[in-house]
Amino acid sequence: MQQGAFKSMGVALGLVMLAQSLHASDASDVSDWSVAEDILAIEGDREYGAYLSSECTTCHQTETSTEIPAIAYWPREDFVTALHAYKDKVRPNPVMQMIAGRLSAEEIAALAAYFENPE
Amino acid sequence: MKLNRRNFLGTSAAVATSLSAPMVMAGGHGKPRLVVVGGGAGGATAARYAAKDSKGAIDVTLIEPTRQYYTCFFSNLYLGGFRDMDSLGHSYGTLASDYGINVVHDWATGVDRDAKTVALAGGGAVPYDKLILSPGIDFIDGSVAGWDLSAQNVMPHAYKGGSQTELLKAQLMAMPEGGVFVMVAPPNPYRCPPGPYERVSMIAHMLKETNPTAKIIVADPKPKFSKQGLFEEGWANHYDGMIEHLGPDFGGDDVSVNPADMTVNIGGEVVQADVVNVIPAMKAGRIAELAGVTDGNWAPVNAVDMSSKADPDIHVLGDASSQGDMPKSGFSANSQAKVCANAVRGALTGSQVFPARFSNTCWSLIDTDDGVKVGATYEATDEKIAKVDGFISKTGESADLRKATYEESLGWYAGITSDMFG
Ligand SMILES: Cc1cc2nc3c(=O)[nH]c(=O)nc-3n(C[C@H](O)[C@H](O)[C@H](O)COP(=O)(O)OP(=O)(O)OC[C@H]3O[C@@H](n4cnc5c(N)ncnc54)[C@H](O)[C@@H]3O)c2cc1C
Ligand code: HEC
Repeated sequence: MQQGAFKSMGVALGLVMLAQSLHASDASDVSDWSVAEDILAIEGDREYGAYLSSECTTCHQTETSTEIPAIAYWPREDFVTALHAYKDKVRPNPVMQMIAGRLSAEEIAALAAYFENPE
Repeated sequence: MKLNRRNFLGTSAAVATSLSAPMVMAGGHGKPRLVVVGGGAGGATAARYAAKDSKGAIDVTLIEPTRQYYTCFFSNLYLGGFRDMDSLGHSYGTLASDYGINVVHDWATGVDRDAKTVALAGGGAVPYDKLILSPGIDFIDGSVAGWDLSAQNVMPHAYKGGSQTELLKAQLMAMPEGGVFVMVAPPNPYRCPPGPYERVSMIAHMLKETNPTAKIIVADPKPKFSKQGLFEEGWANHYDGMIEHLGPDFGGDDVSVNPADMTVNIGGEVVQADVVNVIPAMKAGRIAELAGVTDGNWAPVNAVDMSSKADPDIHVLGDASSQGDMPKSGFSANSQAKVCANAVRGALTGSQVFPARFSNTCWSLIDTDDGVKVGATYEATDEKIAKVDGFISKTGESADLRKATYEESLGWYAGITSDMFG
């Protein structure tokens, strides 16, 4: 739980800082970037999420952070928000932009449902 | 869709049976049996996922001769002095103890496709309902004139993990001051497209510290190579004047070696070398040929589940397969293994099979904290594994970004090895 709250703050902070830096240097207005309510409300298919998660575990471990952060036990909303931020290229990192770029909103919801509590 | 494909391919009675009763393939012998040959990036991953996700419903046997798998990935970093050999070794202990996989340390010497058994060098045969082959690569005899496997202790290939890489490093360390290192680079297609060039970078890094007047010559049959712009930029920045790359215009496609006197003939010009790394042309690991699933040098597969085009109950993963657009890499083999394990589990236990999706990223280290990467996502089409989207590092990136890219690769190494071995 605490871990979740911490993660949640990390994501929010990261986004705010990013939004500001982009805002300063770029014409596009991302300061009010957020994920739409209807996207956050999608119920994910956990079993599909488990299958999709196998693409992630080449780099991410579920519980141990290495140079690449661990991504399990996050509150769903934070997880969904982080992935849409990569998908919409609001958060940088070519690997994650590419990975998230081809995930549909349903697939992101499925992953969030799985990673919220894998096994 | 699957039915159509099977009808199209299907000739054997086994296929007809699996069509009418797709749920269980274990014909009267208890649990369905999956046999995996080769415990590398493809095979270890496939065995682990099939065992883990079926929760004991599949009897999984992994056949692999070595007790310790030394990754080729990061072996160049070992040459550069960034990793020690121990950190590249991984055992099969957890796959056996935590996943219930029956790990058999032996060579597979043949496949009887009618009896559905795999013969072992130590004698006996292991029966299967589904067979996964992920044997990696072997070298094509005669592809570099003057070199064959009997010369590998003089002119190492260092293109399979472990002792060959240690030998190359020992030779480089013992090279006389101002000595000459020659790499004979391989023709396409081969395992790890940026591998030879990352190796050149890492050897240059090492020599710059220990033997700065040494020379590096690369004889290359290819006019272009992976991440070329990035490597050339890095070589000019870090190792100016040390590396000479000779493409086909300069005889790189016309090379012979003489291990007895340590010479390399490049387009008619004879170079006296101190250390020679011959990376020959490659083909699928020999067991794929013995199983009769190769066509030419590689084993063609259906993108949707990595099943062999020659036999629906044999799947071929990783370097040995010919699948379309994915490079032959550990990342690719690991990615293919998960698609395959999902499909095989579906066929053996009736579990849900989800659509194939693949991805790959290859990092290369050019010098301390100067990492670059290339990556892509892929999907299955009727014809092949087809590229969807991709990215590549750019020349002129900031030192901070290059360092972050290198650090990412450390996380990936930890991730993929735990994904393979548990
Ligand atoms: C220098 C170098 C650097 C590389 N760097 C990277 C990198 O940074 N990133 C990356 O993704 N990839 C990298 N690669 C590529 C990567 O190592 C291979 O693509 C990957 O290992 C392929 O996996 P595989 O399962 O096909 O074969 P392997 O991993 O080679 O596994 C094959 C296994 O099968 C066993 N085997 C063979 N024949 C038999 C038999 N008859 N019976 C039983 N067992 C058998 C072998 O012992 C071996 O353990 C690199 C390769 C090299 C050489
Ligand atoms: C090729 C390696 C790789 C793969 C595969 C990968 N990721 Fe990532 N991921 C990264 C890296 C590197 C970062 C850190 C990026 C950054 O600094 O923003 C990251 C960051 C993340 C984050 C944000 C973490 C945080 O603490 O803010 C999430 C969430 C995430 N990934 C989810 C996923 C999911 C879900 C998948 C599979 C669908 C996946 N990743 C596949 C490398 C990868």
